[in-house]
Amino acid sequence: MLTVGGKKQILEDAGYAYSFDRLSYINRDARKVFSIEFVQDHSEAELKNRINEPTPPGEWKFYFNLAPSEGVKREFLRSITR
Amino acid sequence: MTERTVEDRLREEYFSLLPDALRISEELEAEVRHCLLPLLNKLEKHEKLTVNSRIKDCESALGALRRRQEGAVFDPDRGDKYSLKGLNDFAGVRVLAFPRSRWLEADDLLRRHSQFALWTPDPVRVRPNDLEVEPLAFKYYGYCSRNAALRAELQIAPMLIGLFWEVEHSAIYKPSPHLKGVLAGMDERTIKVYEALKDFESEFERLIRRDPLKAKRKKKKKKKRVHQ
Repeated sequence: MLTVGGKKQILEDAGYAYSFDRLSYINRDARKVFSIEFVQDHSEAELKNRINEPTPPGEWKFYFNLAPSEGVKREFLRSITR
Repeated sequence: MTERTVEDRLREEYFSLLPDALRISEELEAEVRHCLLPLLNKLEKHEKLTVNSRIKDCESALGALRRRQEGAVFDPDRGDKYSLKGLNDFAGVRVLAFPRSRWLEADDLLRRHSQFALWTPDPVRVRPNDLEVEPLAFKYYGYCSRNAALRAELQIAPMLIGLFWEVEHSAIYKPSPHLKGVLAGMDERTIKVYEALKDFESEFERLIRRDPLKAKRKKKKKKKRVHQ
């Protein structure tokens, strides 16, 4: 069960949608992914800072507790674009 | 030739582990039933206690392992690091008891049983950090005597909550793809269901305890004994 409270609202207000399959908040326009573990373990202020960070053109940013490998990033993006 | 995926490898592992999982679930169910015999033998007519074993099906096992990865994906370049042996509940037994006092008794009996005394407690809570609040269900995992490769899970739940989960889990946690997003906001309602079920059982037990007919029957019995 999710216990992210106000963080959920912050993410939804910033255009993120929760993916039950990937257990992550995803914003395709911003090309960013926040894992549920990252959201649970970081403060609302930290979350807002990360939401406001720019994403380099053509790239995706993954906010995970453990930096994802290239394989994980590839597989993640493949699963949300198929 | 098509490349073998992490899922392919895990499906192969699943079927190699299945015979062991079957033996474990049978052994565990027998052990739990044996341990609960004193309680089963003294149940009143309105009380219930069920013991059921189960083994995760292949896709559920893969899904459970996948959900344990951050981002819920396997790294295709490191397929060898994943194993279904890492699951705590490949095989398991669920005990459901009604009313709540029998649930607590069942947990007490099983927790003190030598086989389960060393198992790791992993209680189910409404909110994981609410350590002061009584859990929704008791859960333990560990190894059965004859198998040190696969862990098994023992779950002891109030019957009303357990039956609610059977419907709720298949609707919310294992939904058909088009339902997943729709059910995202059900958390608060689910918590209200838990509260309502708990209230129902508490009130039920309160009324049963003060049953005037039961009190009369006890008095009569006492009188009989005195006359004898």
